[in-house]
Amino acid sequence: MSGNPYQPFPVKITKIVSESDVEFTMTVDASLDMVPGQFFQISLPKIGEAPISISNYGKNWLQFTIRAVGRLTGAIQSLRVGENLFIRGPYGHGFPVEKLANSNLIIVAGGSGAAPVRPLVSQIVAGTLPVKSLKLITGFKSKESILFTEDIQSWKQKCDMTLTIDKPQEGWNGDTGLVTEHIRRLKLDLPDDYQVIVVGPPVMMKFATAEFRLLGVPVDNVWVSFERLMSCGLGKCGHCKIDSTYICVDGPVMNLSHASTLID
Amino acid sequence: MSAYDYSREEFAAVFAELQKTYQIYGPKRFVGRGRFSDTDLVRYAPLASLDELELAEKSSLSPKSLVFPADETIFHFNDHEFSQPQLKENGEIIVLLRPCDINGIARLDKMFLENGGQADPYYQRRRQRLHFFMIECRESFENCFCVSMKSNTTDNYEVALRFAGDRVAAQIKDQRYEGLFGQKGRAGSFSPEFVSENDKQVELPTVETMPAEMFNHKMWEEYDSRCIACGRCNTSCVTCSCFSTVDLFYADSRQCGERRRVWDGCHLDGFSDMAGGHSFRKNKGERMRFKAFHKIYDFRKRFGFDMCVGCGRCDDVCPEYISFSSCINKLSRTLKGGSDK
Amino acid sequence: MSLDLNRKTVTKNAFRITKRRNYTAIRIRVPGGHLNASQIARIAKIAEQFGDGNLHITTRQGFEIPNIPFAKMAEVNAALRPLIEELELEHGVKIDNPAAGYPAAGMRNISACIGNRTCPFANTDTTGLAQRIEAVVYPHDFHTKIAITGCPNDCIKAHMQDFGIIAICIPEYDYDQCIGCEACVKACQRKVTGALDMNGSKVVRDERRCIGCGECVLACPISAWTRKPGKYYRLLVMGRTGKKNPRLAMPFLDRVNEEVVTKVIANTMAYVDRYILRCLPKEHIGYIVDRTGFNVFRDEVLQGVVLNPEARMAKTIQWPGYNTLNDANLKTPK
Repeated sequence: MSGNPYQPFPVKITKIVSESDVEFTMTVDASLDMVPGQFFQISLPKIGEAPISISNYGKNWLQFTIRAVGRLTGAIQSLRVGENLFIRGPYGHGFPVEKLANSNLIIVAGGSGAAPVRPLVSQIVAGTLPVKSLKLITGFKSKESILFTEDIQSWKQKCDMTLTIDKPQEGWNGDTGLVTEHIRRLKLDLPDDYQVIVVGPPVMMKFATAEFRLLGVPVDNVWVSFERLMSCGLGKCGHCKIDSTYICVDGPVMNLSHASTLID
Repeated sequence: MSAYDYSREEFAAVFAELQKTYQIYGPKRFVGRGRFSDTDLVRYAPLASLDELELAEKSSLSPKSLVFPADETIFHFNDHEFSQPQLKENGEIIVLLRPCDINGIARLDKMFLENGGQADPYYQRRRQRLHFFMIECRESFENCFCVSMKSNTTDNYEVALRFAGDRVAAQIKDQRYEGLFGQKGRAGSFSPEFVSENDKQVELPTVETMPAEMFNHKMWEEYDSRCIACGRCNTSCVTCSCFSTVDLFYADSRQCGERRRVWDGCHLDGFSDMAGGHSFRKNKGERMRFKAFHKIYDFRKRFGFDMCVGCGRCDDVCPEYISFSSCINKLSRTLKGGSDK
Repeated sequence: MSLDLNRKTVTKNAFRITKRRNYTAIRIRVPGGHLNASQIARIAKIAEQFGDGNLHITTRQGFEIPNIPFAKMAEVNAALRPLIEELELEHGVKIDNPAAGYPAAGMRNISACIGNRTCPFANTDTTGLAQRIEAVVYPHDFHTKIAITGCPNDCIKAHMQDFGIIAICIPEYDYDQCIGCEACVKACQRKVTGALDMNGSKVVRDERRCIGCGECVLACPISAWTRKPGKYYRLLVMGRTGKKNPRLAMPFLDRVNEEVVTKVIANTMAYVDRYILRCLPKEHIGYIVDRTGFNVFRDEVLQGVVLNPEARMAKTIQWPGYNTLNDANLKTPK
């Protein structure tokens, strides 16, 4: 059984950064080809395996931003620099980079949805993925749950960015309100000219994409990414199937015209 | 293609001869192992002799465990490396099964060998060593609706067998068996017949795209309270192929462990749960809808034919008397604007 | 004109002295509580022909036909003959003269829940077992109550008997077949003793806690739990109602086979014969055990008994119950 697609390989952890109370970003050594929006199956032998999206990557490295909410993610959190993480991938369809290049792009990310869009934003602000314009709206529950604070500081300098938290909070002087409220305030003269990416919790994606449709953005120009339980990443285990779509192989990034027809 | 006739004793000798080369699996009765006391369990197992072949009763579990075991170790690991377990028996396997189950395994082939673009190696290595000997099935059991599902016939077999009283007839499609079968039998003219009518019939939905309102239609609500999420419909189904992976470590050697994959099912709790607690299909009615659409609608969209083969095992085993065939008919009636009752 | 009757002979013949002078009631045994419709018709006919057309279903699943003139006893016994043949002789009970009615009434009707002929929870055919035990213990004059229940739910109230037989199973686990759905664990924890637990994705059974009810077998969607071949029983002993000291029967033997159960009951008859106080009009078996002590009882009834390898035995028994003397505690509320 050479080339067993279920077999993970070890990658060395080189850096661990705490993002919030429960989230952390782990950098590992890996030289792999991938596209923003794809994911890996990450595992810790004896504990288990789960799909985690790529939260950034470079030539020799790869990052995952993980919420420690379960047994596996909790165990991964207890790993130290120098230890191995086990991964396999990348899997799935990432963001349609060809369509996004040289477009007027709006990216909306809610909560941990900021992770899968982060490599995309990084490439745009670094100039490796040229776009005509970028509007970035990121929303978090509270100021404590804001992810990638360092990146956000630099993104703010380099693109038009809104950082909002759901409700006003002591010591917060920035924007507040759900991302949908901020979408509603956008002025799009030629909505056909925009490509839009929305990633976040299911309810947020539903309402945020609806706002863009109201603004006149064509459905074909809107892209979303789904997160589902998966045991294989290969289109076999059946957990992520919605209608005839397997999120692991047909997604996780999908055009809204298709995604909006999917009912779990 | 050739055909031979045998007395049961003569065929038992053929069977014994085959066992020198092949392990033979078929439906077998396990006395007293049924769900209720003093009832039997019929499931697929290696047959020690022809006498162990159970033909009078439908097996409550399908032959899918031959290619997709309920629980299979996919790796052993220690703290730094993985190894894949060898199959215990590497030999070729003859499986005696009915047309519905042959068609059922063809559905599993779609999922495990094709879907996602690469073959599942664990499935593949078990599938490769299977040889189908079709048990001719001329009369349906209770709850069968294979004719409606067009899975009552097949030519995907190497040998077809008719068991009629103390006579056995065989049709040989694969030359490799010719010598063995010809030696012990008299030339005959047997050609298998297939069930042409079931007591149960289903009308399949004909829609290309399921109307969105059907996903939340009130017809599913009755199953919220009727279904108890026991998962028997999933475990008994020859085409249910979902699984989860679980890791474990050995109590007396904590550095070493296994990753296993075990059957999962869309009716079972936890099937759609995300880490952190969100569950996509909490209600049993939603799970029934999810299963029904997969079996008779969205699988077809992806692969060109329906997943369900109409073996009726789900109806046989449901402790709550939920009939899947009735559900399909209800769905079709509802789609045509009729009553969902 | 009053009759001249030997009360003891009459009573032994399953007729009883009733309130109404010169009239009796006949008790009909139905071992295991199961009979067919034509047998019921026969019983009905006796009630119509010799009684006043009424009959009573006894607490032990027999029938009692009241208001029969004592003068008709011989005719009633003749009419009972086919019932005795079908419900007793056919099951191997030895009755020398079936035309003379029931030869004993001390051994009470062996009652049983509906058992696995109908009930999905039952671990055995309780009626069949009742009929087989009947063949061992009947006829016998010692007042003894035996009941058989198909599972530890104990619908027949085996806990109120001298011998309460609970049919159980020994669940066997097919490790490779288990998919870790936890249905058995949930069933055992919710309904039974919590003898099952998850260990990773597999189930472990605490053998000491398992009462053999079979809920795990019923719950398992993939037959990973099945019943070990053979029939196993838990034998409860010396429960009782009564005016002095009602108490629950307690487990004496567990996971024993039918042979053990039957032999222990048969041995008990000899034990009673040896120890009963004949100076009393009747001494109830449980009070004999109270006098001799559990150890004497245990040693006597296990004589010649070969316990099956799965068997477990009580080291000692404390019977929970109360003395009716404590009724002095009951006062009229102010």
